[in-house]
Amino acid sequence: MSTTLVAAAGSLRGAVPTESFETPGTKDFWWPLIGSDTNSFTFTRPALIWILSCILICWFFLSATKNLQLVPSKRQWLTEQAYGFVRNTMGQDIIGSKNFKPFIPLLLSLFTVILLNNIAGVIPFVQYPTTGRIAFPIVLTAIVYVVYHVTAVRHKGGFGKYLGSLTPPGLPGWLKPIMFVLEFLTYFVIRPLTLALRLFGNMMAGHLMLLVFILGGEYLLLHGDNPFINVSGAFSFLFAILMMFFELLIEFLQAFIFTLLTAIYLADAVSDSH
Amino acid sequence: MGGNIAFLGYGLAAIGPGIGIGLIFAAYINGVARQPEARGMLQTIAFTGMALTEALAILGLVFAFVFRSA
Amino acid sequence: MLSIVKASGGEVGWPEKLPLLPQPGEMIAGLIFFAIVYWLMKTKIVPRMEQMYAERTAAIEGGMEQAEQAQKEAEQAKSQYEAQLADARAEAARIREDARSQGAQIIAEMRDQAGAESDRIIDSAHKQTEAERQQAQVELRGHVGRLSTDLAGKIVGESLEDETRQRGIVERFLADLEAGDVKPQKVGSADEGA
Repeated sequence: MSTTLVAAAGSLRGAVPTESFETPGTKDFWWPLIGSDTNSFTFTRPALIWILSCILICWFFLSATKNLQLVPSKRQWLTEQAYGFVRNTMGQDIIGSKNFKPFIPLLLSLFTVILLNNIAGVIPFVQYPTTGRIAFPIVLTAIVYVVYHVTAVRHKGGFGKYLGSLTPPGLPGWLKPIMFVLEFLTYFVIRPLTLALRLFGNMMAGHLMLLVFILGGEYLLLHGDNPFINVSGAFSFLFAILMMFFELLIEFLQAFIFTLLTAIYLADAVSDSH
Repeated sequence: MGGNIAFLGYGLAAIGPGIGIGLIFAAYINGVARQPEARGMLQTIAFTGMALTEALAILGLVFAFVFRSA
Repeated sequence: MLSIVKASGGEVGWPEKLPLLPQPGEMIAGLIFFAIVYWLMKTKIVPRMEQMYAERTAAIEGGMEQAEQAQKEAEQAKSQYEAQLADARAEAARIREDARSQGAQIIAEMRDQAGAESDRIIDSAHKQTEAERQQAQVELRGHVGRLSTDLAGKIVGESLEDETRQRGIVERFLADLEAGDVKPQKVGSADEGA
């Protein structure tokens, strides 16, 4: 596994290891396939991974739900577990059994797409967490942002009423403007910002950490000038493998949290009171 | 050895959220130990709280990148 | 990589703009393919799954209904059995009650009968005694008359032959005796009176 890691990490940097150690940085996330570095519409590797993962999800769910049985087969059982997790834990329990039905497709596609693209960070030969590129979290967050605001405006009957519902009822008059500003900032700025940055930051930082340990370990192992440094390079590799399992946990958790927070925002939007 | 003071700032900024997440999960474990049947509900709350706390650390990371170039 | 940036005219390339600026190309790809996934989920996968859920719920509910029906039947049978048992018990109690009252009736009847019988026996004994007494009285009256006339005849020496006269005397004497008119008299004075 380590050798593939080195190969992938090496090719990620687009260069063979040099004599002087270059710290891995955010530059390593740039990986164009077609196009130049300056072109805004360069087709990049993360875009390719994203497209492939979306196609994989479509294929998997379509073929798994082609002929559903009342008594599930093994594959259907797996699909049902994922579906039931999103539907019941995040949809029914949080949004409420009255309103959750129209949001299942959104939650399900969010969860599966984010999960697969996160896990791409530890899949051998792919090893690139697509959501570590801020473009993708921003797109997802924009969708969620639009959906929950539109839902709230529709549910509360008009934009003015929606703004009015931001402040909880029964506040003293002088507190209302302060609360309104705070709530407005929360709903319109902080929520989307943290939603996008959390996913992006976790994935990028996690992958960067793996890069540091693997590239650093490789440099210590191959270019170290005494045995002690070589041995610590080997330990660095071991630690990197350990961290990969930790990353797997984080990747699942981040997909879960993104979908969970989406469900919570939607629950806020469809709730009758504030 | 090169570096940037912004990332030192990020390191400092991550202390608070680290303690916060520790407290959240300590409370979660306590709650589950006392009332195992409340696990599902507590789990959602704990992860929501963790997400909110973690947002601070992530903001720190982002600001580190923002101020690095300045 | 820096060399590439420099080669393209000193312009800042994407590697330097990272990580916080989104690349438009990636955003477009992300949006389009997420939309495809969402559309597929909405039109195909979720309706299929929901339909399957609904069918499964219906099947489970059907099974539960059947079980409920069976339970209802069992309960019905049980209540029927219990009603029968209660009936039987009530009937037994009734029979016992009947027997008891009948027995009491029989006893009362017997007592009545015995009382009547004893009354009757006592009555007839009374009657018999009375009759015997009457008979004895009549007989005694006859005997007393004859004895007294015999005795009187022997004393007087004259036969009081005349039956009619004799009877009349005795009758008159007895009637006087019963009325308490006869006073004890000495034989001598009686002679004087006669």
